Amino acid sequence: MSHSTVTGPPPVRPTRTPRTPYLLVGPALVLVAVFLVYPVGNVIYSAFQQQNVLTPWDDGFVGLANFRQILDDPVFWKSLAFTGKWVVTEVSLQLVFGVALALIVNEQFRGRGLARAMVFAPWAVAGILTTTIWMLIFNPTTGITRYLADMGVVDYGTSLLSSSTGAFWAAVIAEMWKGIPFFAIMILADLQSVPGELYEAAHVDGAGRARRFWSITLPHIKNGLVVATLLRAIWEFNNVDLLLTLTGGGPAGSTTTLPLYVAQTALKTKEFGYGSALTVVAFAILTVACVVYMKLTKMGEDQS
Amino acid sequence: MQFVSQKRRRSIAVGAALALTLGLGACASADEEAGADGGPVTLTLWDTDARTARTERLNKLIEMFEAEHPDIRIEYVGLPTDSYMEKIETAIATGTTPDLLTPKASDLSALVAQKALAPLDDRMAADGFDESMSASMIQSAKSAAADGVLYLTPSSALTDVIWYRPDLADAAGLGAPKTWDDFYEAAEKLTQKDTGQFGYTIRGGTGYWSQFAGMVLPQAGVGAYFNEDGTSVFRNPEVVAAAKDYAGLYKTTTAQSDLTADFKVMVAQFAAGSTAMLSHSIGSYPDHVAALGEDKVASVVAFPADNGVRVQSSLVLGFAMFEKSQHPEESWEFLKFMMEEEGNSYWARESGYIPGNNAVATEAWVADSQPIAVSQQAMAESATVPLEHPYYLPEFTAITTTDSLPKWQMALQGDLSVEEFCAELAEAFEASREAFEARTTN
Repeated sequence: MSHSTVTGPPPVRPTRTPRTPYLLVGPALVLVAVFLVYPVGNVIYSAFQQQNVLTPWDDGFVGLANFRQILDDPVFWKSLAFTGKWVVTEVSLQLVFGVALALIVNEQFRGRGLARAMVFAPWAVAGILTTTIWMLIFNPTTGITRYLADMGVVDYGTSLLSSSTGAFWAAVIAEMWKGIPFFAIMILADLQSVPGELYEAAHVDGAGRARRFWSITLPHIKNGLVVATLLRAIWEFNNVDLLLTLTGGGPAGSTTTLPLYVAQTALKTKEFGYGSALTVVAFAILTVACVVYMKLTKMGEDQS
Repeated sequence: MQFVSQKRRRSIAVGAALALTLGLGACASADEEAGADGGPVTLTLWDTDARTARTERLNKLIEMFEAEHPDIRIEYVGLPTDSYMEKIETAIATGTTPDLLTPKASDLSALVAQKALAPLDDRMAADGFDESMSASMIQSAKSAAADGVLYLTPSSALTDVIWYRPDLADAAGLGAPKTWDDFYEAAEKLTQKDTGQFGYTIRGGTGYWSQFAGMVLPQAGVGAYFNEDGTSVFRNPEVVAAAKDYAGLYKTTTAQSDLTADFKVMVAQFAAGSTAMLSHSIGSYPDHVAALGEDKVASVVAFPADNGVRVQSSLVLGFAMFEKSQHPEESWEFLKFMMEEEGNSYWARESGYIPGNNAVATEAWVADSQPIAVSQQAMAESATVPLEHPYYLPEFTAITTTDSLPKWQMALQGDLSVEEFCAELAEAFEASREAFEARTTN
């Protein structure tokens, strides 16, 4: 072992002062303060205010009035119920189809690369483009119902988007198209980390496909499933872009989620105070739901 | 490796901060001082209805203006017609408003409440526009603001008409509808569901109010939203009856998909030949002609009601300047150009609008334009009254959009009776007016 020879003057080491740690974390703290603490604080502050740019003469502190109004607001309860239905339906269907697709493209077969690319492609499409594609498909003049009408299957001038039930399923299909690849990507990544020897051993022991899935695959992808489901549930809860552009929350308010109601309240009717109160409530609901879900799934706990 | 000393680092940081500050300052001062040394001043114009054809027309108009005013440049920014108010309100809140805007009378309440627009009364009087522009359009633009001040140049106006296909009407043995009964009969006879042709397209989606109010109130012969005793006309039996007739068109003479139809869908259906009639303003005339040709499109105005009154709905469109514009004199020059004969004639003619300039209104093309001619003939009748929309109410937009649209769709689907729908409208308008009067009388 040889020692290198140091030549020339020793390097000047920077002086460490008591302020150095603060200077190092300072930029991060500033960013968090500007982009997180201030906006959240501002929303909480506004929730206790009457703030409407159309009637600025009535603006001012109103205490808990906005929250009391929420309790008596039928649109809030209706949109909350729809949000629950939307999240459960979307996440469940995306989970089932996403896992199925991941299992398929995890197998060895000819053209697997192309199949994987096709499965993942919708995830790369921008939200607004997704909506545009599906709006064209659902268009009564140029879309699928026009061709079905030509074949005598449905009446002319009909669209899935123009009935409350139809609009829900139209939105579910469009969102599934974009959301399934997310699950497929996440689960496929987990599947590839399962040691092949386990399957070989199970096969030798006579375990069938179903048994191998329940006893080997599922335990290995469980954490991935929990994380993907939690993330997707939060995103679906907060979904505004697809529903706003595809259905506008309609018809008759039938596809209005709570965040969409917030957007309409704040942006269209300019009720920023009431909109902020709705946001605070939505935030609280989402936080509680996430904590409960993590507890139920024992996420983060030692598997051993 | 040579470490930079603490003192040196501090110097670099201070230098960078200074450079950044001076750089930003230079940007600001360059903008503010534009024109002071003889260079051209740049104004920013936000257009609230960016569509390809309209954008081209506005850019041509800007070219014409700049040719006459070499010291002023206009930068055009197009905003989507269904969300421009969000952009404008963000700009107002952040103090980043442009110089010029193309608002409608129905936008004024929100903008005036935020003290965003510059008043124009004194400038109009000083430059003689009180005389050269349509008195009724000036009055209409003033009454749209709660304080009765003019913020919008009365450059042009749109009236609501019923567009129909004369070729389809002739084929069905029908002429141009002349009464409300004719209209409902035509809607029924022109409907052939098995071939995908519908007699009428009802606007069930975004922006439904202009069609709803523009058809129901004229059919009832009512030209205002409030009775003399302050109650809403939506409690009047004749208005409720007209609303029931109108809503009854849905799915009997219209497509099921009309439940969510907006302006674009309606116009596309008319252009594609899948609907024979629609209610819209004269502003869509260029679209219809481009799609169908002049001989396959014609318009009629709302028919006289049983009480003999013909109610005509119209909307003043124009240009406005922001209060915080750094270049008010140059902005006013552009507004003037839009009211003077050259600019006003080009803009109104190419857009299919009724011109606000009195001299332009006598030009031959105005009489030759079928929709403008029928609108003006109707307005000249003694039994015709304008439909007065209470745009000045701060809640007008909320009531007629987000609040009532879901209810309207429920009424069309039969989930809410038309009587209940009208009662809820009446209650909302009465509450809004009561609050407005309480504030303005105190």
